[in-house]
Amino acid sequence: MRDVAIIGVGAHASGRFLDKPMKALAYPAIWGALDDAGVKATDINVAYVGNSLGGLLTGQEGVRGQVVLQHSGITGIPIINVENACASAMTALRGAWLEVASGAADIALAVGVEKMNVGDSARTIGALSGVSELDLSELGMQFTTSYAIHPKINLKSRMAEYGWTAADFAKPAVKNSYNGSLNPLAQHRRPLTIEEVVQSRVIVDPLTLLMCSSISDGAAAAVVCSADIAKKFSSKTHITIAACVLQSGVYRLPGDERPDSATTSAYAAYEKAGIGPEDLEAVELHDAMAPSELMLYERLGLCGPGEGPRLIDERITTLDGRVPVNPSGGLCSRGHPVGATGLLQICELVWQMRGEAGKRQIEKRPKVTMAQNQGGLLLGQDSAVYGCTILKS
Amino acid sequence: MKILNPDNLRVPTEPGKTPCLLGNRCRDCGIVVFPKMPVCPSCHTNGAMVEVEIGRTGKLYSHTISHFAPAGFTAPAFQIFVDLPEGPRIFSLVGAGLPVERGVLEDGMEMQLVVEPLADTPEHRDELTYKFVPANGART
Repeated sequence: MRDVAIIGVGAHASGRFLDKPMKALAYPAIWGALDDAGVKATDINVAYVGNSLGGLLTGQEGVRGQVVLQHSGITGIPIINVENACASAMTALRGAWLEVASGAADIALAVGVEKMNVGDSARTIGALSGVSELDLSELGMQFTTSYAIHPKINLKSRMAEYGWTAADFAKPAVKNSYNGSLNPLAQHRRPLTIEEVVQSRVIVDPLTLLMCSSISDGAAAAVVCSADIAKKFSSKTHITIAACVLQSGVYRLPGDERPDSATTSAYAAYEKAGIGPEDLEAVELHDAMAPSELMLYERLGLCGPGEGPRLIDERITTLDGRVPVNPSGGLCSRGHPVGATGLLQICELVWQMRGEAGKRQIEKRPKVTMAQNQGGLLLGQDSAVYGCTILKS
Repeated sequence: MKILNPDNLRVPTEPGKTPCLLGNRCRDCGIVVFPKMPVCPSCHTNGAMVEVEIGRTGKLYSHTISHFAPAGFTAPAFQIFVDLPEGPRIFSLVGAGLPVERGVLEDGMEMQLVVEPLADTPEHRDELTYKFVPANGART
């Protein structure tokens, strides 16, 4: 396998853009990435386009990638449509990485785009329920519920098990809202306080409104190429993909003692990259509900069981900490346009590694970073998709 | 009225018979799954799954109150996971007769299966499905 470099990234702001169809959201992200990389539309050999809900919500059931890319002047090449729930964009990146790593292509494009605001939030929530296996969603089960009480996540039980309080649950939301307030592309840019997060309306007990990521439109893209030709196009910081791991959930019965799938995907990535969790200098992770960040600290090996709140209290994962987590604002503040999120994470890491992150720039430019992305829900008591990418400069 | 998913739920008409869920047990490794699937997800054997009646009772694993609902459902509503004695841990709704308040359910309590309309809405009023209720009445 060849080494693969990321030479260009681009993103559309996340938020509510009722008048913009998918292709209009994707266009600035795609051309942001092409211009950033210094490549032309005709330099792209192959493209992967991640999207999750566009079929149900916009009616464009098929060929969304071809539609979106034609609008941006990219035609004729192989275009692969990727649906992997909230990990669609990470899956698209993996496709692009694999094309280049294998030698099948020299330059590949990964795009993630999502159009969630369609003027009817009940319809959007209904569509989102559809990324859980139908046997669950047809009973009215929602994603928020899964974060609250699903056996693999069960944030509610962690309150009892570890003594975590509502204030602990609010800590990642508060930390990330500060980061998001510094990010011009973020959906929510107001710094929050513990009190207002705890006291906001209960959505699914014990999760309150300000602990939940919201409905969001957005897009992101990355251009990857063989590492040995990267300098021909870009003189910016040379960033390589040290690992790009994708796993699917496994069927778990009560008492299943296998490690969590977020853990196995992260450790597979660590092994491929030849590093450990202690080497990470910045992390973007999948905090679809803010308190899940506390749990993911454990699963990625950043702390021991129950120690999540301490990492925020001791300013280890804050923007000025040893390993800043979600410097972009994460899913709750930056936004979670589901099929774009994985590449929005990659954009943020690339900007941080290059020193281009503006007011939220991590002071010591990180050289080893991780993006952790997951999505969907299966009957077998696991998420459907786990993605984990490690970048090095 | 029709059963939402007759492959999952048996509602006997004979007197004295109670409703139950329909799962699969693997003849090779013995695990029980719900809903049914043709290949054992544990030992991955194909063709060893046999239908079994399960889930007349269960134990509450976890519960929450959802304060918003997708189209066709109402809120607030309990959403729960139940451990069935045969092995599976399943998602379920709670029978409509219970007040939807904190303190009514307690993790670990014994539950029993009931058959009710999926939701009291025009979309789902005529669809029967399984739900669980506390076997010995609510806690308070």
